Amino acid sequence: MHTDDAAKRQKDRDFEREALPWLPHVARYALSLTRNDDDADDLVQETYLRAYRSWTQYTVGTECRAWLFRICRNLFLRTRQREARQVHYDDPDLEALAVAAVHASAQQSGYGDVFTHVDLAESVEQAPADLPDAFRDAVILVDLQDQSYDTASRVLGVPIGTVRSRLFRGRRLLQEALLSFARDAGVVPTGDKPSQSEFRP
Amino acid sequence: MTPMLDCDAVMRQLWDFLDGELTAAREAAIREHLAVCARCFPQLEFERAFLDTLARARREHSSLEQVRTHVMAALSADGFRAA
Repeated sequence: MHTDDAAKRQKDRDFEREALPWLPHVARYALSLTRNDDDADDLVQETYLRAYRSWTQYTVGTECRAWLFRICRNLFLRTRQREARQVHYDDPDLEALAVAAVHASAQQSGYGDVFTHVDLAESVEQAPADLPDAFRDAVILVDLQDQSYDTASRVLGVPIGTVRSRLFRGRRLLQEALLSFARDAGVVPTGDKPSQSEFRP
Repeated sequence: MTPMLDCDAVMRQLWDFLDGELTAAREAAIREHLAVCARCFPQLEFERAFLDTLARARREHSSLEQVRTHVMAALSADGFRAA
């Protein structure tokens, strides 16, 4: 009996120390997925309950945030009865090169500095949600949640090469969507060229 | 002496560079190329502006404390006891 009580107390201490500090991160991630405060609230509760009940599956001292994100994403997909679409695997290097074509096209039509000078706040908030699931997942984790390729790989359960490929494709699709928005909204192209003197990698 | 990277090699790794995913040596090599390449530099600026635009779209939950209260209530009902 004493042993059970001690184990329970240790579990609660570990959970409090390792899982609860990530609550703001999980809430932000849930909001990125659901795009609705109430749904995000429910999803975070369910994620933490699932994590608490499955705590023996977690190895204390490892990457708790990635583990929580994975639970959160799986619950989101399940509650929405959505399956992550199978995406044809492309070479991430080719995807990286393909995005150069978007820039070339934007430059030729005078939209080379569209992201610097045009307020795209409204459309950029909606645009990731319109991406196919697999690309959206990678963009949300890396671009909206600031996660590394490695963490995204753990959350999504795919190799890093697949994360890169999906991320780069997702970014290219987003750029194309935002450029279309700018053109459709009648944004006047400026044709400005960036100055080499502003180099700051 | 390491030969300078060509544009194609830089383009292949531009996202990795912007995401901070490269080794220090590779990052330095790309930085060196970008500092002198009139073709790749505008691409860098374009992609960086795009990522900045995306970053501005990040949203926080409007009531994180409420979420925390709900989570703690649900966990307590499930037997969790905070120290």
